Amino acid sequence: MKRGLALFISIFFIISLLAGCSSGEQANQAEAKTKDGKTVVNFWSFWGSETRRPIIDKIVKDFNNSQDKIVVKHTFLPWGDIWTKNLASVAAGNPADVVINDINTVAQRAKNNQAEDLSKYVDDSFKNEFYPHLWQTVLYKDKPYGVPFNTDTRLLFYNKTAFKEAGLDPNKPPQTWAELEEYAKKLDKKNGNRYERIGFYPLWGSIGASSWMASADGGKGFIDNGKLNINTPQKVKALKWLQGWKERLGDKTVQSFQADFGSQQANPFIAGKVAMWADVGTFYTQIRDYGKNMDFGVAQIPAYNDQSKHWADGGGFVAEVPKGSKHPKEAMEFIKYLTGEKAQKYWALKNYDNVANKKGAEAAANELSRQAKDIYKMSVDNLKVTNLYPTPVEYPDYQNRINPYIDNVMLGKVSPEKALKQAEEDVKKMKK
Amino acid sequence: MKPSQSVHVLEDKYIEKTSTAADTPTIAKKGLSKKTRENIWGYLFISPWIIGFLGLTLGPLLFSLAASFTDYNITSTMNFIGLDNYKQMFTVDTLFWTSLWNTLYYVIFSVPLTTAGAILLAVLLNQKVYGMKIFRTIYYLPAVLSGVAVYFLWMQLLSPSAGLVNTFLGWFGIDGPAWLFDPKWTKPALLLMKMWSVGGGMLLYLASLQGVSQQMYEAAEIEGATAFQKFRYITLPMISPVIFFDLVTSTIGAFQIFQEAYVMTENGSGGPSNSLLFYNLHMWNNAFKNFNMGYASAMAWLLFIIVMALTVFNMKFGKKWVHYEGGDKK
Amino acid sequence: MSQYVSPKFYQTRSFKKKSKSLLITLLLAAGSIIILSPLWWMISTSLKTPAEIAQFPPSFMPVKFQFSNYLKAWQTAPFTRWTLNTLFIATCGTLGSVFINSIVAYAFAKINFKGRNVLFTIVLSTMLIPGFVTMVPQYILFSKLGWINTYLPLIVPAFFGSAFFIFLLRQFMMSIPNELMEAAVLDGANHWKIWWHIMLPLTKPALITVAIFSFTGAWNDVLGPLLYINDEKLYTLQIGLQTFKGTVQTQWHYLMAMSVMVLIPIVLIFFFFQRYFIEGSNISSGTKG
Repeated sequence: MKRGLALFISIFFIISLLAGCSSGEQANQAEAKTKDGKTVVNFWSFWGSETRRPIIDKIVKDFNNSQDKIVVKHTFLPWGDIWTKNLASVAAGNPADVVINDINTVAQRAKNNQAEDLSKYVDDSFKNEFYPHLWQTVLYKDKPYGVPFNTDTRLLFYNKTAFKEAGLDPNKPPQTWAELEEYAKKLDKKNGNRYERIGFYPLWGSIGASSWMASADGGKGFIDNGKLNINTPQKVKALKWLQGWKERLGDKTVQSFQADFGSQQANPFIAGKVAMWADVGTFYTQIRDYGKNMDFGVAQIPAYNDQSKHWADGGGFVAEVPKGSKHPKEAMEFIKYLTGEKAQKYWALKNYDNVANKKGAEAAANELSRQAKDIYKMSVDNLKVTNLYPTPVEYPDYQNRINPYIDNVMLGKVSPEKALKQAEEDVKKMKK
Repeated sequence: MKPSQSVHVLEDKYIEKTSTAADTPTIAKKGLSKKTRENIWGYLFISPWIIGFLGLTLGPLLFSLAASFTDYNITSTMNFIGLDNYKQMFTVDTLFWTSLWNTLYYVIFSVPLTTAGAILLAVLLNQKVYGMKIFRTIYYLPAVLSGVAVYFLWMQLLSPSAGLVNTFLGWFGIDGPAWLFDPKWTKPALLLMKMWSVGGGMLLYLASLQGVSQQMYEAAEIEGATAFQKFRYITLPMISPVIFFDLVTSTIGAFQIFQEAYVMTENGSGGPSNSLLFYNLHMWNNAFKNFNMGYASAMAWLLFIIVMALTVFNMKFGKKWVHYEGGDKK
Repeated sequence: MSQYVSPKFYQTRSFKKKSKSLLITLLLAAGSIIILSPLWWMISTSLKTPAEIAQFPPSFMPVKFQFSNYLKAWQTAPFTRWTLNTLFIATCGTLGSVFINSIVAYAFAKINFKGRNVLFTIVLSTMLIPGFVTMVPQYILFSKLGWINTYLPLIVPAFFGSAFFIFLLRQFMMSIPNELMEAAVLDGANHWKIWWHIMLPLTKPALITVAIFSFTGAWNDVLGPLLYINDEKLYTLQIGLQTFKGTVQTQWHYLMAMSVMVLIPIVLIFFFFQRYFIEGSNISSGTKG
């Protein structure tokens, strides 16, 4: 009995010792000010890789040196989990001061009280520094809840060598869906029953069924200004068109190509297995690094027909102040620096990434040269026809409802008309 | 909490049979009755768990139960909405049924397969052959591997044309399926992965086999028992408490499958035709993507009821075949 | 044993045994290849250059072994510090786990106290609720206790027992015959002594299993450290692994190299601890060792 008690006591002693040690450390952490009276701004991002980390750390360091009131402390948190942690810490009332988050869900977080309203820190001149389609996305009830940081857009990369081989003019990429299909057929290379090269497949790369459906529908997404826009004749047409590609190439071919490259280690366009590829502008760096002097061109995503625009869709990230931050004012100071011309230009150049600040993007484009410059310029110009499809607060999970129907269409289980009709009904039912 | 009470009733009978060591009469000391002393010892021994339960676990559990009757969104609202979440599950949310079906499919196949696989492996690895230490380590390895790297590894292995699995099948003239890209084969693909890492369960049985007396085998051998008979009448009953444990916990674990599907379907989209949208994945999406934690809590508590019912069944059925060496006296 | 059987019988038996163990060895070796082949992909990727990884079809064997990947990966971040952190958390947790769960399980298996069955049912039922829905309230609780950015949320719960291990050890203890304890009880031993002197040695294989499981669990835990630690100095290996996973490009060569390195300590622990399986064997039968 005595020994039992002794063991218990010693265990609890160990625990309390542990508690003692670490809460000492915690006290240091929780301190909002440094010894010399500077305010500490905690900044969470998911940029931890060998390539990105030094870039963001440099921006943070430059900011810290640029003034003497605020010290930004940057912490890496893994992609995906960063937002789970953000949510928990907002709920517990001890969040970071600045966090990088998805641009398409700003309104959702605003509605659920997870981010601070930034309207008192920004004016029109600040707002005008950013691309309007991005600024539009950070608004909820006309108030900004985040500041756009970076963005992207889709372009068509095509293999010029393959074009020549197939007797196509390497300087004339396809402009419309019809041309795309025609070119793709010519670019297909078969060995018996097996495809050695596929000209194009619309669902590969950084693009999906929803992008094509929006493109056919005048750039309108599944939900347009709060109205359901799923079951439209144009979207049905687009879905039929997508189905046609799968039927032509065959389930087996599509699946095995997809799977071979599914683990994202090797890229089929770079490996010469697919001749045309839709991806974001940054894809250029992969070709540059691994493409072994590949001869390729870049064009806009083909338009539905010669009367319609070359719509593309985009995404991106914002810098937000989580609700309950102890230093929103200082946090905003840092965000302004982060999204200002200088930092944005630096980020754009180092990452070859599209940034949200117009001047930053233009300055970066001017500093690049040759193909890097051309492609970067093209991606910047393409932002004019780029749409973002922010998740509407009334339909937070509309994508999860629609996607299985589209999958089933592609598997030939259900007709496009029926699928979109049912998808629209499903989404309607789940309205919040 | 009704189901837990019924378990309690069952458990009562079930444990009653197993007498304790201190049942044997001893001289009462210090004036306390034997019963009181047993109670004191019992509560003293389980006190760490009780403190932890009351201090760390119970609060969050009750909170989530309460949240299941509200529109709790984690950060601001928490209004009472009665049974609306539960109603929505059954009447409106079609994905709820998809996820339940997917999960049941997975449970039904994975639990028996992994249990049988682990027992078989443990019996093989309990033989005295050369290099056994290395073999055991090899078979346990996959159970240790975790995280993103493994899932991506498997995505490559299951690649329909160039993957190792289909290449292997090809040697036997079998044209392998598209695995993760064909809704019919996504769940079998996960089962295959699960079977690969059966080493964790193997370890349990290996530990349990150490308690089986060699003398019993020798006696049986002298009486001319076949290997199967020895396995059936000695090994199985002796390790049945652990089989029971494995069945109960792996059923619970299979119902909560999440990580595999989350990583392999690009952050929880559910895979082709939602064939990998498991219960917990749907719950996670509701909780952290839609911020509908009230609904997710309701889903969690419904799962609680389902799994509790199954556990009760396991317990009831378990009485028939679980053999406790320490408790057969009464 | 061979003393009282005829030499002829002994020979056939021995022959049978030998062929049986040969068969088992072959079977296990064949299985090992299946088990190990996925791992080969991991190791081979870890030794390739990024350009070679980007090739299609993937090569089975690296053209030139890039052993430097391992060193470079290690140097991209404070991995030494993170390893020590993880080791500390996992060791503390494992110690707590083995002792506390064993004490609690002993009570549930061998002490007949009032309310035992109700309490055991509650123990089991705590396993049935998915962690997601209790995660946020638990985070708030730890935050109120001032435990954020400390290892306490990762270690302390291990000292309060876990349902999984309690259940496991209870099952093992219930298979221990009561006769083994009765002698001790007659000698006037109390439960503490029975637990320490009889139960712990008899359940050694089970305790080792618990130790291996809880060490592995803590070693591989991602979400726990990630939620509760705010300071990168206090991070663990598994968070470190995530740094290689980029939004656009993943550094596969580093990710795989570090995954292999993270695996090594666990494999070593398993390899050396498993001797207790053999040492601990057959104690319950009392005689043969």
